[in-house]
Amino acid sequence: MMAWRIARRELRGGLSGFRIFLICLALGVAAIAAVGLVRDGIEAGLRANGAVILGGDAQMSFTYREANAQERRWMADTAETVSEVIDFRSMLVVARAGQTDRALTQVKAVDDFYPLYGQVLLTPDWPLERVLAGNGVAVARVLADRLGLQIGDTVQLGTKVFTLNAVLDRLPDDAGGGFGLGPPTLVRKAALEGAGLLEPGTLYDSQYRLKLFAGAAVESLEQEAMAQFRDSGMRWRDARNAAPGLSEFVGRMGAFLVLVGLAGLAVGGVGVSAAVRAYLDGKTEVIATLKTLGAESRTIFAAYLMQIGVLSVLGIALGLALGAMVPILLAPLIESRLPLPADLGLRAAPLAEAALYGALTALIFTLLPLSRSGRVRAAALFRDIAEPVRSWPGWRVLITLVVLLGALVWAAAAFSGEVWLTLWAAGGVMGALLLLVCAAWGIRVLARRAAGLRMVRGRTSLRLALGAVAGPGGEATSVVLSLGLGLTVLAAVGQIDTNLRAAISDELPDVAPSYFIVDIQPGQLQGFLDRVENDPGVSRVQTAPMLRGVITRINGQPAREVAGEHWVLSSDRGVTSSDIAPEGTQITQGQWWPAAYDGPPQVSFAAEEAAEMGLKLGDLLTVNILGRDIDAQITSFRVVDFSTAGIGFVMSMNPAALAGAPYTSIATIYAQEEAEAAILRDLATQYPNITAIRVRDAISRVTEVLRGMAAAITYGAMATLITGLFVLIGAAAAGQRARIYEAAVLKTLGAARGQVLAYFTLRAGILGAAAGLIAVFAGGVAGWAVMTFVMDTEYSFEPRSAFVVVVGGVIATLLSGLGFAWRPLAARPAQVLRGRE
Amino acid sequence: MTSPVLSLNEVSLALKGNAGVVEILHGIDLQVAAQETLGLIGPSGSGKSSLLMLMGGLERATSGSVQALGHDLSAMNEDALARFRRHHMGVVFQSFHLIPTMTALENVATPLELAGDRDAFDRAAEELCAVGLEDRLDHYPAQMSGGEQQRVALARAAAPRPDILLADEPTGNLDGANGAAIMDLLFGLRDRHGATLVLVTHAPELAARCDRVVRLADGRISPMNEAAQ
Repeated sequence: MMAWRIARRELRGGLSGFRIFLICLALGVAAIAAVGLVRDGIEAGLRANGAVILGGDAQMSFTYREANAQERRWMADTAETVSEVIDFRSMLVVARAGQTDRALTQVKAVDDFYPLYGQVLLTPDWPLERVLAGNGVAVARVLADRLGLQIGDTVQLGTKVFTLNAVLDRLPDDAGGGFGLGPPTLVRKAALEGAGLLEPGTLYDSQYRLKLFAGAAVESLEQEAMAQFRDSGMRWRDARNAAPGLSEFVGRMGAFLVLVGLAGLAVGGVGVSAAVRAYLDGKTEVIATLKTLGAESRTIFAAYLMQIGVLSVLGIALGLALGAMVPILLAPLIESRLPLPADLGLRAAPLAEAALYGALTALIFTLLPLSRSGRVRAAALFRDIAEPVRSWPGWRVLITLVVLLGALVWAAAAFSGEVWLTLWAAGGVMGALLLLVCAAWGIRVLARRAAGLRMVRGRTSLRLALGAVAGPGGEATSVVLSLGLGLTVLAAVGQIDTNLRAAISDELPDVAPSYFIVDIQPGQLQGFLDRVENDPGVSRVQTAPMLRGVITRINGQPAREVAGEHWVLSSDRGVTSSDIAPEGTQITQGQWWPAAYDGPPQVSFAAEEAAEMGLKLGDLLTVNILGRDIDAQITSFRVVDFSTAGIGFVMSMNPAALAGAPYTSIATIYAQEEAEAAILRDLATQYPNITAIRVRDAISRVTEVLRGMAAAITYGAMATLITGLFVLIGAAAAGQRARIYEAAVLKTLGAARGQVLAYFTLRAGILGAAAGLIAVFAGGVAGWAVMTFVMDTEYSFEPRSAFVVVVGGVIATLLSGLGFAWRPLAARPAQVLRGRE
Repeated sequence: MTSPVLSLNEVSLALKGNAGVVEILHGIDLQVAAQETLGLIGPSGSGKSSLLMLMGGLERATSGSVQALGHDLSAMNEDALARFRRHHMGVVFQSFHLIPTMTALENVATPLELAGDRDAFDRAAEELCAVGLEDRLDHYPAQMSGGEQQRVALARAAAPRPDILLADEPTGNLDGANGAAIMDLLFGLRDRHGATLVLVTHAPELAARCDRVVRLADGRISPMNEAAQ
């Protein structure tokens, strides 16, 4: 075939003009392949270690209570072994030398069968039986360090004293639990007796891990258990999806990072497109000659498409090789940061996904310049051969382009499973590219105006730089496009991150309480109130009785069939009661029950959640509380604000409905920071069973998580920026001939090298600063939109990160631009100009 | 002859090419008087353009000395040469060598700005009017014909009122009519500003307009040189 023969002969010329093409494509493909491989590796690790992560083949869990006789019987009949774990938050207290330290901990009270799967890693490396024997405990290293604990020290849980026999390095079943506020403490369940911690109404979870008989049908067991025990508040999990939260997080983060990778590929596409355009511009004479010799447009298009195809395959292969190396080389580092063993190895699916994205991107970004190759006229040979074709492509090319774009977005949506996220991201990237093209045009207009200003005249280097930015050649567009997207993401992350942190650390503490106290027994409430209400440092105390219940039915129908997978139904929820509407209650619909009402149970439901679930006044909710079904009618809806970290219950019932149920109270204390320590000391000493959660600690934990996410996004943006830097370097390398020529002409006209260098520096600096300023503007708009519409809080422009972005833009363009300035400065004018004669 | 504006003594030039060192010029001795018009002629490859580049300090002689207005160009570094050209020389090339990212006005204003002229743009506009391009001030080189580009190049070379004008086949890329117009402009400019003009050309009718013609062959001044006069 003629086209292939032409392509092969042309390819003999080597790859010198295609280095940036290959780098851009390879980097984008490598990033996506690496993310995909790591994501799949973690997911495979989760699947392979499901039983270890869960702590059993299956787990049945209950809140507020242990399994009853019927449930225990079923488990004993079903499983080979049943291991019981009681899980709750408490305060770990250390008293030494007259000083008492306290820290929040997540207590795991285990039986002799624990762990059914996996191993507890301890220091010293003693058997678990020995560590937990008698009143022995093991505490997480971070907790031991914080409290300055040594092996052999005594610690107090509730009213009982324990001996620290080992430090916990890793719990096999710690990955599935999700977001925990306290580091774990391991203790025998039997040893907790007499500690006053597991009183009626205390908030705790009981978990029963089942080691099933070989060949047991997990799915039918789940159905059987759900049918029998779901309505009494039982929750089921099994090794097929041991850590649903973690697995969803990994999936989401993976999808997100692949989308960031695609944005990087889009930036790389700008470089790919520029490389192909420059290559084909240089081929105008060859193409015109081929046409003179009788080659059709179609043959020429096919010949160059094949060349680009061969190069794309090479770039993609390079990218896959690079991407595959990342998980292999970084496996120890990645695995050390994961709470579970990952199975990082080569997998076909993520590599194929990355290759597909690479191929589609290469096609999308090369189609326009390629379509021009067929339209070079033979007459070009006899006119100015340097003039490339710059007309609008035909409708066939445009339709193909739209189809390819659609295919890319469809593939990304299908692979990630996040259709809306993908569509938003695709729209965002395309919108951002369009905005950047418009902004580049605006910069050229501005530079043209500025170059004509009287004050600029006489400042030759500046005027030359402004003229060059404004002039033809598309340098402004290429710099703004290649740097702009990465810098915009970075600017947006900077704005959102700083605003969020300000909102959390400056604004939230003003409205949020100092402490959240749980597990206050009814007999302790009055004493508790006496202590805090008389403290001058306390501005407000709120208390509410609390139980937890699962909504099982709505109007007699299974709740999930009526309201779907709403979060209110996903687990047990706090239920409170109040004879009269608490102060500040806003009823949106219906009426609060009359004082001392003791008729059929009534419930007041959170208005927003009710609307989402489709509930209306008069609906009958069946709520299972401690194994007992309560049928309550919705008689009012009220506003519940969860954003201030105060007390907020989805459901409040009339007190008579809950009479007889053992309950505890929760409280929020709003106090000055100086008063906090004394309050905690007194309360914890007087009531060792209660748990105080310091809201400041919880907020800093949330901030930490947010910081981690911001870091991940920043790394993504950096990958895009690095690709952008390569595109810039490519543009600078491609422009070197033009710079050499300019320098020669300027020297001929009398410019000293310092002036030429100043001109090059200003030119790069102006373009970099412009790209940075556009990014700050776009990032600011994105930050404002996220803070205003998503976070529902105020936005204020943050100048520091914006400054970093602008400086980053300038440095990037200077690095790439000035790196190629030495040859033009050193070249002799005569040699350069002679070469052009 | 009054004291020469350009004086070349025993000048040789050798350039390193892909095929090794190529001897371009051998032992050139040449003086050009103030306000003289000198034509450099000779076959292709005889070294005419190289000689012109040496006179402009755009090329550095391998041996011998090149003096311009009493300054030894061979002893100057690159920046000193640039500053010297800025104030004393204008160069016109066969391929115009306009800066593609600048408009006509900016191209012409650039040497004036480099020379520190406060009215660079006004004077550049005047120069462009003088070559008949008052309607093309804001056009980029790519938007102009070859003849128009060469007129911009002429205006750019003449704008700083140089003592010496060097022109390397200024009509070589132009058709007959455009070439004649450019030559009229070039000689007109020279007459107006009283500059010394050194002109490389293949065209006998152009050479005939010069005060003196030097013929080059194989990098040497031909012995038949003065016979042409």
